[in-house]
Amino acid sequence: MASVFRSLRALPLARLAAAPRPAAFAPVKAFSTSVARSAGAGPPQLLGPGAKAGTIPSDEEQATGLERFELLGKLEGVDVFDMKAIEMTRLGTLEEPVQIYSLYPERQVGCTGFPADSHDTIWMTVNHSMKHHRCQECGCVYALNFQGDPHLLEGGHEHHH
Amino acid sequence: MTNAVSQPRYQFQFHPFHLVEASPWPLLTANATLSMMIGAVLYFNGIAHGSTLVTLGFLATLFAFILWFRDVTTEGTYLGDHTLMVQKGLTMGVSLFIVTEIFLFLSIFWAYFHSSLAPTVELGSQWPPVGVTALNPMTVPLLNTVLLLSSGATVTYAHHALIEGNRRAAIVGAGLTILLAVMFTALQGLEYMEADFTIADGVYGSCFFFSTGFHGFHVIIGTTFIAVAFFRIINYHFTAEHHMGLESSILYWHFVDVVWLFLYAAVYWWGSDGVF
Repeated sequence: MASVFRSLRALPLARLAAAPRPAAFAPVKAFSTSVARSAGAGPPQLLGPGAKAGTIPSDEEQATGLERFELLGKLEGVDVFDMKAIEMTRLGTLEEPVQIYSLYPERQVGCTGFPADSHDTIWMTVNHSMKHHRCQECGCVYALNFQGDPHLLEGGHEHHH
Repeated sequence: MTNAVSQPRYQFQFHPFHLVEASPWPLLTANATLSMMIGAVLYFNGIAHGSTLVTLGFLATLFAFILWFRDVTTEGTYLGDHTLMVQKGLTMGVSLFIVTEIFLFLSIFWAYFHSSLAPTVELGSQWPPVGVTALNPMTVPLLNTVLLLSSGATVTYAHHALIEGNRRAAIVGAGLTILLAVMFTALQGLEYMEADFTIADGVYGSCFFFSTGFHGFHVIIGTTFIAVAFFRIINYHFTAEHHMGLESSILYWHFVDVVWLFLYAAVYWWGSDGVF
């Protein structure tokens, strides 16, 4: 799973973002955001080449922001929001815990055992400070695979843009 | 804009949902509609300045809607906040709103059938009541039916044209839809003037003008909705895959069309003198 997300790093975002745009459509940012923007706050801007005059643009040409991020991920075969339930292929053990991908130092996990739906959902919070978390019902071991901002681990607060 | 080749995943929002920024428009809308309703009540009861308040309240509500929907357009089209999950939620919201409107018309139709199915002796035990000459359903109302059905076809044509990437056809289709809708409203206005009964003419007048009046109001709303989508097509807001503003306006327009079909069948045709 983590490797799938790592492949996102190879997305040619720069090529798509830096496509030449006519000066008439140069983005005009609100003054209120320009200071924060030049300081580096906020996610990277994702802009497409835009519609050609006289045509109906496609999503690939015109989508922007988070929608574009989702679209680019889809084109690579990646669900950037990780909306699907994890596939249980084995029961996690202390030597080989089930890795829980997370962008945040903790994540909620609902264990239904192996095979899936073996028992009622047992909810637990898997966090970064503990190495192993065991399900009370089946003993499946989970470990957090933290792939988020390293600053969050130091107890820093999430940036709210 | 960034020149870095690779961006860590955590730089982007983790979840697909849109947590909107603080906005004054909901409060403004609430205050405006309250003012409009208080003004309406004052006006209906003949209390001084009611008409002024209802007019000002209506204008304030209109401005509040414009400012709110403008922000939604900015967030969706220009900021890219409308991921697939957000689109799903918005579509559900529009559909549920239309369901509430269906219930509004259900209650109006209930009132109509309550009085018309078993007309009381005070009405002359007949429907239309004694002294009421119903409008001929086979002339202007039938034309209006054709207009609305045709507008449903033209708006579907515009939608398919947009999906296929045909900009000119999409604009023409949307424009024709608006033209047909305006023609409907104009003809309804003329019919209102032609009718030899008013809203004050007993339960028939109340039912007729309440049902067709609310419908006409919704036609105007639907026409405005499609007109906004028309201008957004021209301004390249929509893509071939993502055009929720147009789809919502089409859904609303189909609802308006279906209500008219029920109105025509129940009020204009079944509820007429039967000599046609």
